Amino acid sequence: MNSLMIELRKEKRTGVIPVLFSVGILGAAYAFVNYMVRKETLLSLPLDPMDILLTQLYGMIMVLNLFGVVVAACMIYNMEFKGNAVKKMYMLPVSVPTMYFSKFVILTVMLLFAVTLENAALARIGVVEFPHGAFDMRAVVAFSLYSFITTMPTLSFMLLVASRFENMWIPLGVGVAGFLSGMALAAADAALLMVHPFVIMLKPAIAMSAQPDVLVAVVSVVETALFLGVGLWMAKRLQYE
Amino acid sequence: MEHIITTEHLTKEYKNFIAVNDVSIHVRQGSIYGFLGPNGAGKSTTMKMLLGLTAPTKGNFTIDGKHFPQDRLAILKETGSFIESPSFYANLTGRENLDIIRRILDLPKSAVEEALELVGLSEFGDRLAKKYSLGMKQRLGLAGALLGRPPILILDEPTNGLDPSGIHEIRNLVKSLPGLYDCTVFISSHMLSEIELMADDIGILNHGSLLFEGSLHDLRQNALKNGFATNKLEDVFLSMIDKDNADRKQRAIL
Repeated sequence: MNSLMIELRKEKRTGVIPVLFSVGILGAAYAFVNYMVRKETLLSLPLDPMDILLTQLYGMIMVLNLFGVVVAACMIYNMEFKGNAVKKMYMLPVSVPTMYFSKFVILTVMLLFAVTLENAALARIGVVEFPHGAFDMRAVVAFSLYSFITTMPTLSFMLLVASRFENMWIPLGVGVAGFLSGMALAAADAALLMVHPFVIMLKPAIAMSAQPDVLVAVVSVVETALFLGVGLWMAKRLQYE
Repeated sequence: MEHIITTEHLTKEYKNFIAVNDVSIHVRQGSIYGFLGPNGAGKSTTMKMLLGLTAPTKGNFTIDGKHFPQDRLAILKETGSFIESPSFYANLTGRENLDIIRRILDLPKSAVEEALELVGLSEFGDRLAKKYSLGMKQRLGLAGALLGRPPILILDEPTNGLDPSGIHEIRNLVKSLPGLYDCTVFISSHMLSEIELMADDIGILNHGSLLFEGSLHDLRQNALKNGFATNKLEDVFLSMIDKDNADRKQRAIL
């Protein structure tokens, strides 16, 4: 807990927390504005109203989440490298893996906050705009969890990459390349492509049904744990130089 | 007197050169040990190994009877350090930077003000560290090392970037530390003139090898024996380095 509090104090003036906070606000605002503007078009689609609500608006929200996660992960480690502060951390009686894990927790909690805000906006649209009986709260909760779980491999991967490069442009470039390659590969059927964390993140965005895919969810959890494990192992095993 | 830091055949090899070669040093408890050598002699690499920033290729060391890596946290808890350039969070003020270290070391709040006072940074404590001058960053780094009055201090060229009055001030501060709270100081520099004013013992390093270890008195005796001028210790140091460099050249030719 003390380590988490120390990490939070370090984040002051870095913009890590405001970035993911803004992503949540922007995502929620986008959902409202998009639905208001495209209401007729969306409701005329040959899909279940809940599928329309959750999948047709998620594409842009997912892009916002993705770039929010990429930028926040880059920033959370850039402040360690900027004034060589990470060297001081290696010279203090602090567990480097704990420091890594605290950063992971901060990003995860902030992402959860953003996803909750975005899905609360979707729920509000459903409650207010949908005909009586068409809105299903359980579907919103399930899709919220599903979109959060499928974003986690990208978060875990980006934190790992950001922790290994002093130059922030490298992880940022990896994030952009991941997004572009993910876009190109997301529609492919091959299950093997799910090893790509960005492909996993894009899965709910290209689906026509809001029903969570169990395989995608399981692979997401495994990848998140794997990238986190590698990050913790590197933090423990690798020296500063 | 008991040795608080000892290294045995400490060696650090990189792909194409040996930065530290079979160095065995002995730092007495409560003393100021000056670690001398020209730029690139291996002083910083030795200190980095002692702090776990880089792993030795061969050899080992103990700090207060503890070993790396198994006692890493215990060693770092009792060691204040400052290696090469100052390290700080650019997004935080000087005071906030020290507060992070204070929280890690679990010290009382007053420790931050005490450290700022000690290095003369009190009035600049609320300025962002990235806006500090080089000298102020150096002082902040030193304050971070002194926080909580650790029993062992490892300082790598702490007066770099300071103006003459700053050098004088920091030198006097370092000199007073063992008397103030019974700590041991292991300090590096490439200037013997600076070290001879504060150190009890010195070690001279050149091209990664330890040329001499002992007291300043021993150094004078050693210089006399080898026919070096002894009126100025700076000259003794330079003569030792020159002789070692000449011997190396000779060996390379042969």
